[in-house]
Amino acid sequence: MNSPEDTPPQAPLDTLPAASQRAPEMEAIPNEYDSAAPVTGKIRLEAAWGSTEGDEDLSAANVAPPKSDGQIFKHQYKQWNGVLNPRWMRNWAILRHHLLGVFKKGHRPWGMPIRLYLLVVFIASLSDVGMTLLSGLIGDSGLHSIWGVNRDNLYGHVLGFFPRNMLYYPVVAALLVGGVISEDRQHGTSALYFSRPITRFDYVGMKFLSVAVIQGLIILVTLALYYFAEIATMGRGWAWIIDTFPMFLATVISALLLIFTYTSIGLALSSVSKGKFFPGIALLSIVLGTKVLAFIVSNLFDREILYLLSPYDCLAHVGQAIIGTQPTYDQYSWTWSLASVVAMNAIALYVLSTRVSSMEVTRE
Amino acid sequence: MARKPDSIYRAFDRKASAIVEFTLRQYRTKKSTWVVLGVGFIALALIFLIYIDVMSSEFESIDNDGDSTDYDNDGYPRGQEIRLGTDPWDSESHPGLFDTPIEPEPASMYINEDDFDWDITSKLGTQTTGIDDDGDCLNSNKTSSQKDTNNNGIPCDIIVEYFKSSDGNVYTFVSADSGVDEDPDEDAYSREAIHLAFVLSIGKLGFVLLLGIFLPLFMATGLIRDEMTSGTMHFMLAKPIARSEVFLYRTLGYLGIVWPYVIVLGILGALISGFVGSGDAFFRFADLGVWLAIIFATMMATLVYGMLFNALGVLWKYGIILAIPFAAWELGMALLSMGAPDAFLLRFSVIGWALMIVDSAAMLVWPNIDLFILMGNWGGGGDGGWSFDSSLEGSAPLDFFSSKPGLGLSPFLGAIIATLVLMFQAVLFWFIGGALFKGKEIQ
Amino acid sequence: MIPDFDQQGKAQTKEWVPEITAPAILLENVSKSYGRIFALSNITLALNGGVTGVLGMNGAGKSTLFNLLMGKIKVSQGTIKLFGTDPWKNPAPYARVGFVPEHENMYDWMTGHGFVSTFARLNGLTRDEASIEADRVLEFVGLTDVAHKKIGQFSKGMRQRVKIAHALVNDPDLIILDEPLQGCDPLARTTIMNVIRELGRMGRTVLVSSHILQEIERITEQIVILHQGRLLALGNLHSIRERLDQIPHRISIQSDNPKELAKDVIDIDEVFGISFPDGKNLSIQTHNLGAIHSQLPRIIVENNHKVSTIDNPDDDLASILNYLTSGSGL
Repeated sequence: MNSPEDTPPQAPLDTLPAASQRAPEMEAIPNEYDSAAPVTGKIRLEAAWGSTEGDEDLSAANVAPPKSDGQIFKHQYKQWNGVLNPRWMRNWAILRHHLLGVFKKGHRPWGMPIRLYLLVVFIASLSDVGMTLLSGLIGDSGLHSIWGVNRDNLYGHVLGFFPRNMLYYPVVAALLVGGVISEDRQHGTSALYFSRPITRFDYVGMKFLSVAVIQGLIILVTLALYYFAEIATMGRGWAWIIDTFPMFLATVISALLLIFTYTSIGLALSSVSKGKFFPGIALLSIVLGTKVLAFIVSNLFDREILYLLSPYDCLAHVGQAIIGTQPTYDQYSWTWSLASVVAMNAIALYVLSTRVSSMEVTRE
Repeated sequence: MARKPDSIYRAFDRKASAIVEFTLRQYRTKKSTWVVLGVGFIALALIFLIYIDVMSSEFESIDNDGDSTDYDNDGYPRGQEIRLGTDPWDSESHPGLFDTPIEPEPASMYINEDDFDWDITSKLGTQTTGIDDDGDCLNSNKTSSQKDTNNNGIPCDIIVEYFKSSDGNVYTFVSADSGVDEDPDEDAYSREAIHLAFVLSIGKLGFVLLLGIFLPLFMATGLIRDEMTSGTMHFMLAKPIARSEVFLYRTLGYLGIVWPYVIVLGILGALISGFVGSGDAFFRFADLGVWLAIIFATMMATLVYGMLFNALGVLWKYGIILAIPFAAWELGMALLSMGAPDAFLLRFSVIGWALMIVDSAAMLVWPNIDLFILMGNWGGGGDGGWSFDSSLEGSAPLDFFSSKPGLGLSPFLGAIIATLVLMFQAVLFWFIGGALFKGKEIQ
Repeated sequence: MIPDFDQQGKAQTKEWVPEITAPAILLENVSKSYGRIFALSNITLALNGGVTGVLGMNGAGKSTLFNLLMGKIKVSQGTIKLFGTDPWKNPAPYARVGFVPEHENMYDWMTGHGFVSTFARLNGLTRDEASIEADRVLEFVGLTDVAHKKIGQFSKGMRQRVKIAHALVNDPDLIILDEPLQGCDPLARTTIMNVIRELGRMGRTVLVSSHILQEIERITEQIVILHQGRLLALGNLHSIRERLDQIPHRISIQSDNPKELAKDVIDIDEVFGISFPDGKNLSIQTHNLGAIHSQLPRIIVENNHKVSTIDNPDDDLASILNYLTSGSGL
């Protein structure tokens, strides 16, 4: 018989073998195909349930000892003596996880609509590249004068309001930051990060970088393509490149500033929120709402001071100054706008860092 | 279960009020509700502060016709010399050399001395209007041809002509006799124009556009979707209540917090602009009609967008991604309606109809707003030889922010039709949302 | 579509006339598929009165069955009737149904009483009636003393009991509980079990799901076993056990020469039938699997048979019961 009563008496706890030797335990499990066991369904069921009726005394059942076919093993915790990979390698793993998720499965799932929107924005951002190529191909100088690389067009590629900073870049930032930190808080996956040798700074830094790099892939790559399309189609020489490279560089800097600002505001919102949608809508309403309010005030009262509250307008003002286009804000110096951008980033990063450092590693 | 007799209120206090009350209490526990409402309040308050600041400061008075200047340095302003017939360019010719010498008048008498006196209506055809207040046109020294520089046979008047051009639009032509209404009061005009433009802009962009889109975006998208995601929807759907009813009552609960908020903000706006605004009256009662329309239009917008975004949330887990491009489209439509209120595209938007209500009310309450803009654009000297822009401050923004209700309807009819269309849209989105929800499999 | 203007509780999707004679639950050939995966296949079931336990492993189709009953999802094939009415797109029968979902999320900001009374009003009760009703059901589940505390402060067992209370509002004829004992401590478990048994005693139709047979066994003897979307067993627990004993077990052996092997195997006493499904397989029928398995190796080795596989093809019920009884779902 192989019912629980007949299992061989167990060895005392202190004489048990070390945890690594698991063989005795395997034998201790009653084998229902044992030779000595004329096992029937009835006996098997009753052996396991230990009951014959459905309504025996419940309190007794609850305190009944567990089935006696188990053993208790000593746990010995050994320190792990391996070599930890360098910090950059661990961080690279996080970054890679987020970046590759845009392109293929098996990494962070960004959601099909978001990836679709990224693709649409990328293609739409290439409009000036396409027009430059077209003007080079058909040799239309009129078309080229509208679309070719010049100061205003470089500014417009990154900082133009309609459609780029109304429909493209803030929406992309909003969609990206939506769940980046808040989803970790919501699903409790932050515990997966913090149970590994990752500091919180690394965690949030890589989140930041991954969101920024994805935006950079759209804004900076299309900008570079635009510049190279001009060189390729118009056969520009070194003289032209040396001439225009400083303003190209200035455009890159203002694009970096734009990406950094949108990302830090968005991530700060993502860290204060639990939901997925709130950070996205909030980022959009900050960018577009302050713009509309400042537009009302400057149009009505001829006062541009509210533009200092609008992230987009501050970035545009700074961009105009460093790229060197005609400024459209003329009531104050661009350094005020720069100061405002710095202040916005400082506040956002402060919120982000305090929220992440005080983040509880539980599912909320 | 035995039902005891109820009062009428208690009798109706069943399903609908349970879900509405539940939704309101749920909003109350969410931090994001208070953040959104608070930020909306602060943003509008900021604009109102700037408005109060502008209204409490003086608009600079400009001497549009230059007759306060003493060109020949004889101590007499040009206007006085012209009136009395001496040569304003000759320091040896001035009223002080008269037999009975006349004392020089202060230059301020010749600033803003000839304000608008227009008394016409904006209908097709030619009308004449205008009074020469300061007498520099009716001056007896002038010949009759000098008094009638616009050649219509009437001395010292202004011709205002409304005509329809071949493209179907109505244009205006203003031609004044020299010296009529040529030096208007900038402070009075600009104060009034900026006040009107402020009410229209804050109403259309601040209330109907920003509050109308962002409140539903924040608060209505998750009404059903959040419950479905968290699994708490099961409690509600296990009860004998149709899903489209749940959809409707949840939306009503959302309106229960959004509508009072809009009404309170609107009343605050009406009070501030009524007390601070231009004019001699203690309170601008007439503006209340426009504010009423602004509040009403915002309520309709939040209703329609609420139903729509709620339906988008039911439709798809990523409903917000559908809602964001739609919100951007509506922003574009709002700007389009400022420039081209008759644009065909506006009929496919929500905001176009909502803004039509505000435009209609503005037409009803301020029937002469077109004429007022025309006066400001003319600005006292738009005729003939003046090459610079003589329009007064405030007329351009007022021109931008005000527009005629579309479809060529009378204001009253326009408001009613716009309201009906918005109601139809709300019911349509409710039906769509309810049908989507009804056919939705919920795990 | 039309809202319930009189707010009396009958959702007016369709005119609903309850069929007095119809069983509480009637499923005929019900299948539910997601793409090519069948979550439930060809279930036929009728239940009326008493407590029934629905047993099955995770993913066996218990929740799918309940979601179908509650009109959350649509059947792919077959018909479902609650009191004679198809529940899909028609919430009318829920006036007589109480449902306890398995989801853990609740409205933590509400008090127990507030939660129950608010949702009681969805049954068409007024505020006063709902409040009285909430007091009644909260007392029934033993939560009167904490009724006015926030649900967020409740323990797991209390939360489950609030959910049950919410389902008992308006005295439903059919109560469906999805994993009501999950994650509860023994004391809460006992209380909830008592509540469920009490409901059964009151003549209600109660459907309880679990993946632990011991739990269900303490509540009821009437069970339904689901496995991989199929109905595996239905009826009294004891009779299922007895029938399980009588089912002959099959052992399928793949061998080079099944006929030779059969000659040796037939000598074992416990074998009472042998068949050859095809040229390579040998099928043995027995009532005593263990005896066969203990002797087979010796026979094979002694007679030098070449055997590639040995398996028990219809061990489903045995293995699922084995799983359920092992309590590993805890």
